[in-house]
Amino acid sequence: MKFKVGIDIGGTFTDIIAISETGDTTVHKILSTPEDPSIGFINGLREVAEMRSTGFETFLSSVDTIVHGTTVATNALLTLKGAKTALITTKGFRDALEMRRGIREEQFNNHYRNVVPLVPRYLRFTVDERISAEGKVVKKFNTNELVPIIKKLKKEKVESVCICFMNSFKNAAHEKQAVTFLRKNLPGIFVTASFEVLPSIRFYERVSTTAVNAFIGPIVANYFDNLIKKLEIIRFKGTLLVMQSNGGVVTPEVVKKIPAVTVLSGPAAAPTAGAFYSSLLGYKNCITVDMGGTSFDAALVIDHQCVTSTDGSINRYRIALPSLDIITIGAGGGSIGWIDNGGLLRMGPQSAGAMPGPVCYERGGKMPTCTDADLILGYLNPHFFAGGKLKLNKTKAEKIIQTELADKLGLSTLETAAGMFRIINNNMAQGVREISVERGYDPREFLFIVAGGAGSIHSSEICKELEISVFVVPNVSSIFCAAGMLLGDLKHDFIRSYFSSFSKIDKKYFITIFNEMKKEGMETLLHEGVKEKDMELFPVLDMRYAGQYHEVPLQVEWSDVVNFNLSNVFEAFHKEHNRQFGYSLKEEETEMELINVRLRVIGKTEKPKFLSSKGKAISLEKAVKEKRKVYIPELNELKLIPVFDGDLPIGGSVIHGPAVIEKITTSVFISNKYDCLVDDFGSFIVYEKEKYPGGFQPKQKLVDVNEN
Amino acid sequence: MNIDKILVSIFQRAFKSMTDEMSISLTKTTRSPILCEAKDFVTGLYDAKGQMLEQTENLPILSFSLGPVCKEILRQYGNEIHEGDVIIHNDVFSMGNQNNDVAIFKPIFFENNLVGWSAAKGHQADIGGAVQGGYNPNATEVWQEAIRIPAVKLYEKGKFRKDVWNLIFANIRLQMVQEDIKAQIGACTLGERRLQTFVGKYGLEIFEAHKQALFDSTEKMMRAEIKAIPDGVYTGGSMVYYDGKHKGSKFPIKTKITVENENIIFDFSKSSPQTKGFVNGTYTSTCSAITLTFLQMVNPNIPHNEGMIKPLKYIVPEGTILHASYPAATTFGNHLCPQVADAIFKALGPAIPEKVTAGWNHLLCSLFTGSHPRTGKKYVDICFLGMKGGSGALKGDDGYDHIGMIDASGGVLDQDYEMYEQQTPHMILQHEYLCDSGGAGQWRGGLGTETKILLKSDNTTMVVFGDGDVEPNYGLFGGKGSVLNKIELKYRNGKKVIPKSKDIIHGIPDLTLYSQIAGGGGGYGNPKKRAKEKVLQDVKNGVVSKKAAEKLYGVK
Repeated sequence: MKFKVGIDIGGTFTDIIAISETGDTTVHKILSTPEDPSIGFINGLREVAEMRSTGFETFLSSVDTIVHGTTVATNALLTLKGAKTALITTKGFRDALEMRRGIREEQFNNHYRNVVPLVPRYLRFTVDERISAEGKVVKKFNTNELVPIIKKLKKEKVESVCICFMNSFKNAAHEKQAVTFLRKNLPGIFVTASFEVLPSIRFYERVSTTAVNAFIGPIVANYFDNLIKKLEIIRFKGTLLVMQSNGGVVTPEVVKKIPAVTVLSGPAAAPTAGAFYSSLLGYKNCITVDMGGTSFDAALVIDHQCVTSTDGSINRYRIALPSLDIITIGAGGGSIGWIDNGGLLRMGPQSAGAMPGPVCYERGGKMPTCTDADLILGYLNPHFFAGGKLKLNKTKAEKIIQTELADKLGLSTLETAAGMFRIINNNMAQGVREISVERGYDPREFLFIVAGGAGSIHSSEICKELEISVFVVPNVSSIFCAAGMLLGDLKHDFIRSYFSSFSKIDKKYFITIFNEMKKEGMETLLHEGVKEKDMELFPVLDMRYAGQYHEVPLQVEWSDVVNFNLSNVFEAFHKEHNRQFGYSLKEEETEMELINVRLRVIGKTEKPKFLSSKGKAISLEKAVKEKRKVYIPELNELKLIPVFDGDLPIGGSVIHGPAVIEKITTSVFISNKYDCLVDDFGSFIVYEKEKYPGGFQPKQKLVDVNEN
Repeated sequence: MNIDKILVSIFQRAFKSMTDEMSISLTKTTRSPILCEAKDFVTGLYDAKGQMLEQTENLPILSFSLGPVCKEILRQYGNEIHEGDVIIHNDVFSMGNQNNDVAIFKPIFFENNLVGWSAAKGHQADIGGAVQGGYNPNATEVWQEAIRIPAVKLYEKGKFRKDVWNLIFANIRLQMVQEDIKAQIGACTLGERRLQTFVGKYGLEIFEAHKQALFDSTEKMMRAEIKAIPDGVYTGGSMVYYDGKHKGSKFPIKTKITVENENIIFDFSKSSPQTKGFVNGTYTSTCSAITLTFLQMVNPNIPHNEGMIKPLKYIVPEGTILHASYPAATTFGNHLCPQVADAIFKALGPAIPEKVTAGWNHLLCSLFTGSHPRTGKKYVDICFLGMKGGSGALKGDDGYDHIGMIDASGGVLDQDYEMYEQQTPHMILQHEYLCDSGGAGQWRGGLGTETKILLKSDNTTMVVFGDGDVEPNYGLFGGKGSVLNKIELKYRNGKKVIPKSKDIIHGIPDLTLYSQIAGGGGGYGNPKKRAKEKVLQDVKNGVVSKKAAEKLYGVK
């Protein structure tokens, strides 16, 4: 039997999923080992082998692929524990990286600080070279200028160097000279140049992305060297792949060159898994949400594809590489309830996180949190949290909510907990609404897919607020990302800037740069063992109407690109512009401009099968664990309702709300307004009773609620 | 009626989501770069009496300019407000803030009752008058600046009034402005729809009661902030230099702030009479400047609704430079915000030394127009990147580097260098922090910048407007001031031209070197008390010279 393994290492937990070719699945969750995450990686594999009652070596020899999601790069950026980095740039532009185009995000807060630059000013060096806007050499670069700089870099014990010159997207000759010279003269030091990382127009975006790459480079490279060594020791012979921010996977060799592609490695798998699940159920669009301890991530899937963007940043550091468009809201299980000076109850964005965590964890938390409220409201089972591994103290939760909040509000503890629940649900719903609207979509037309432990308690109420009629809690929701990793394809993104009005595009040059990117992409894929028949090409043109400031990425057909069939492109652009912005300038015959050309090259990977419980289901009555008092929002009171064991095979059953479904790793709350169909794979499909009076079937058209 | 306290919290977040959605819609659907790129607009929701439910401000100076107009419309139209009406307004002599800032208001009805208003105001690319774009340093009367639009209906009971529309837009140069106004109407319709649904969900009675509870709670927050200021009468002043007409002219701004328990009054009566040029404020713009300055000194989490502004009282008499009488020219008025802010910070310094900042760099801005030799097309570029200096330091924190004027407070982005070089013919030679530009202090002023651009086309026109080239930004409590703003042209033949702070220069030849210094912010506290490591760090980073470290900070 052959296995594929997904390993998602997060800040708190390491999630592992192993799926055989027949769909036989083992799921495991262990604590992460932040001091060296590879320890948790290997231990996790070992424990999965034990769970399967197989010897470690035998199990490993049956694993052909491991896909890995890592937060090594993310953490380096969040904690600012990256390499000591230097920047070499064009004379006159020493400060662009730190200036961040002169923005202060909080306009009324004079204590709000700029970010600490990834390269301090004394390590930002300039050289007297210049390429013009047309790509001509204005001031020739002499590598001798680097000699005194190298001396200083050595003296300062710099660990990483990035190079970004003005207009290098037009002509990278000077950057190439610099990078060659530095690599030769700084052996063992990570050196990266902007033309290798992001050869596109916009200096600030490029210098920032290149600096991020340099800052995390040595750490990511060391991490993978160490991990690969450990895998060799335990004689793993299969392929190791790494999850990228763009939702695709890639080999560690590529990651070591451009580590910045892994900055959103972990969360990127959730939308990928969401796309897979919604397709499985027959829908092409969905919103995936992942509610963790401190944050709530949401992302859109349109037409089976995860939405990507180049507007990303982490910890306010700009990264313009294509990443899945994941939006984070400060709402999670650890979100703290507090009373503002006006006497109103608020939730978050401050969070107690996993440590010290909610008061009911008894790990030293002293502030009332969302999880404390969820416990009081009966959604969580104090004896069965994480399958009983963590006992929750309900009395302490009640006490803290009473003294910190309820007494001050003049409400009962239960009323206050219910208020906390309502407020945080409202915060999450409004956040989801804003991200959808901002991208030009109406959330009501989407399937809502819930990953992560806490989310499925809150999704009934979030969906009610958003008027979304169906939400799905996949069977592996708590290790959704790990599962998503096995569903990703190999993906490589290439970009070239070609600033031109469309009427002046040079046909030969246009086709040549696309073929160049194609060649580079296919070579990389071949190297990764992908056959040509499994390769797909997705060209994208970044376009705008002349005079506009923002470009719109437009996916086009490869055949239109190589045949230079631009009329199809124009039509598609007017249409897309109209969809996103509510108007097109087709009638006005406004000229269009090209800014960048992009190519995404995809190598299809073999997808695992999930095991169906069809024919093995037990009757629903046998799955009732207990009856428990649970808060029902529609009735505004506690009510005794059934609690089902969601780990039993109950595929095909319909559970009528109100009810709670408990799994080891998650709980699902189905409020009065909803019913739930358990599908053959053990996923929960929760739908509004009124909208689906005859019950719900996968592939059924979502009820059209668009009244406008 | 019983107040559901939880529902009050939910109301606040829901209103915010509505005005945010209106703002998102406007960003996406407008076409002029000053709207879709610089986001020079505000969206808001108001109740039936014109009281602010919530707003989404992008540029602070516009933030508090909708409410006064809403109340003016209610006064003017009384019982003649109907479902389906759309009202347009810009008139600075009936509560408008700046001629270019055009507002759209839409009344919101629920079951035949007026329950509120949705509104959007944005800076239009053109508004008629003598000069495209509106900044006319030669103007002495409003008609030389703009077409006046008092509150008139573009739609009545849902019926489009084509005649009114045509009359207005026959007086505005660019077709794009019509599209941008349509986008504002669209954003208002969005707000209308969402507030209607919201009122429908809870019922009118609950809506009214809980809205009021939200105002009360916010007012309580604001009053607590005012109460924390020691009672007293505080005075402060600043100076406006040059009205664009009379060399060496100057105009004092004076404020008297009275704090009594939970009340605060900002009285600007003693400020200079209005000027004969366009350097004049409007009542609404000045109140907005006062409010945004005061908000910089209170808890940033206070919701922005009527309860927040209710405790603030403004006295800005007509005929002063901050509230010019009909029919004065006023386009420069928004840019008097830095002087209004200076006066307030200076006045309140002794009362709340831990909240005020030292002087922010004032705006001195240039705008280039010309034709691009590579494309043959005309271009217009406001040199945002060159104009942004530092903010003043405050207790506990250095000023913010390269943030720009307080009217925007870091809300306007610099152009990207490479995009700039594609869209204009010019080549940027330098854009960097200026060493020793942050006023010295225990907390250092934010850094200013030095910009050099090689103008690479013949016959470029440059418009300059602003200030800050006469008197340096001030330091506080022993902190030092900063360097002056400066713009200089050096022609190929060696000729140097230093423009006045309000000026137009035509026919600038090819290969002229443009240099600009945007000053830093003022310092706070005695520089000798600055932590030695911080001074050494600044020296190491080259933002404070060794000489200054020794002389001003006493650190070798």
